[in-house]
Amino acid sequence: MMFSESQFDGGSQIASSPATAAANRDTFGLVPLTIKQISEASHSGDDKSNFNVSGADVVNVSVVGMVFNIVERNTDVTFSLDDGTGKLDCKRWLNEPFDRLQMEEIREGIYVHVDGHLKSFKGEKHVAVFSVRPVTNFDEITFHFIACIHHHARTSKVQKIQGDGENINSTPKTPIQNGTSGFVSTLSSQHSVPFNLDGVKGVDQLVLSYLQNPANLANEKGINTDELSQKLKLPSNKIMESIRTLEEEGVIYSTIDEFHYKAVGSS
Amino acid sequence: MDTSNPAVLVNGDLLRSYVGRRVRTVVQVVRPDAGGLTGRSTDEKQIVVKGQMPAPLTTFVEVIGVADSAQSIHAEIVTNFGDTFDTSNFNQLCQLANGDFRHLFI
Repeated sequence: MMFSESQFDGGSQIASSPATAAANRDTFGLVPLTIKQISEASHSGDDKSNFNVSGADVVNVSVVGMVFNIVERNTDVTFSLDDGTGKLDCKRWLNEPFDRLQMEEIREGIYVHVDGHLKSFKGEKHVAVFSVRPVTNFDEITFHFIACIHHHARTSKVQKIQGDGENINSTPKTPIQNGTSGFVSTLSSQHSVPFNLDGVKGVDQLVLSYLQNPANLANEKGINTDELSQKLKLPSNKIMESIRTLEEEGVIYSTIDEFHYKAVGSS
Repeated sequence: MDTSNPAVLVNGDLLRSYVGRRVRTVVQVVRPDAGGLTGRSTDEKQIVVKGQMPAPLTTFVEVIGVADSAQSIHAEIVTNFGDTFDTSNFNQLCQLANGDFRHLFI
């Protein structure tokens, strides 16, 4: 790998193999979901601690609903969350003073935004909450449901695109499929939703297609990243992001230096 | 986990399709009545709400209850939604939640 890990900002850990990179991307990010979606989540693969919602892996979720049945104990607080699509059990462990402080604001019947880890116990799903806050601006409720729809539409679309015979996959776990939906989950966790998601995936495709062009495949020296930037008319930072992504998926590699890349194989 | 009793997101127009079912909507309070209030839905239809109201009422309220006619709801829970609320967003959400993305909600 030509890029050292110190070049990456943003806190996500980049593993050195495509499979682990995909797993890491899947497990980050807060996915906005309705309780109905959560009830339909299945366990993903062999790893019983991960869930799968409409094709994408989900670990951390964001739910907005009304609080009921608050039960306060010494070490934890449990409550039920009703978002109109279903009811979900939530548990907040009181480990830090911050936890208690946050829970003091939570009262029966108020709308709250819950972020937590989706878990299953004896076949029942519940959320291990790491943050609960009251909703003060009720447009947040509308927004949350729209975000759920948005996330669903995105991951379904990605599944469909990947299913349309992209011959990029060289590993059995189809890392790009999981990778890009993981990427989507991460970005959709911010409330200032960046609407350039299409752009990011699109750039990866453009770079890869350019490198997979037979004339370029034949070029032993690889393609200069400046050339990519000029030919695709995209800023170099976007090109470099795509290069990083594609390199991790194992579909391109650097040649004479870290500014020259070539696509793998003669597909 | 219990998804047995969902409340369908509706606006004035959609309400008539769910008479007898549990619904939820946001209305702008036009005036309080005896036993409830009269509200204007996010698609400018009149909806009468019967039940217990919070006091004082803000400009917008969310009503969760059973639709007892195409223009009225018997409320279980009425929540103050403040004096500012984006009605067009909510209206679009109702259409999406009852259209292509219905399966995410009910």
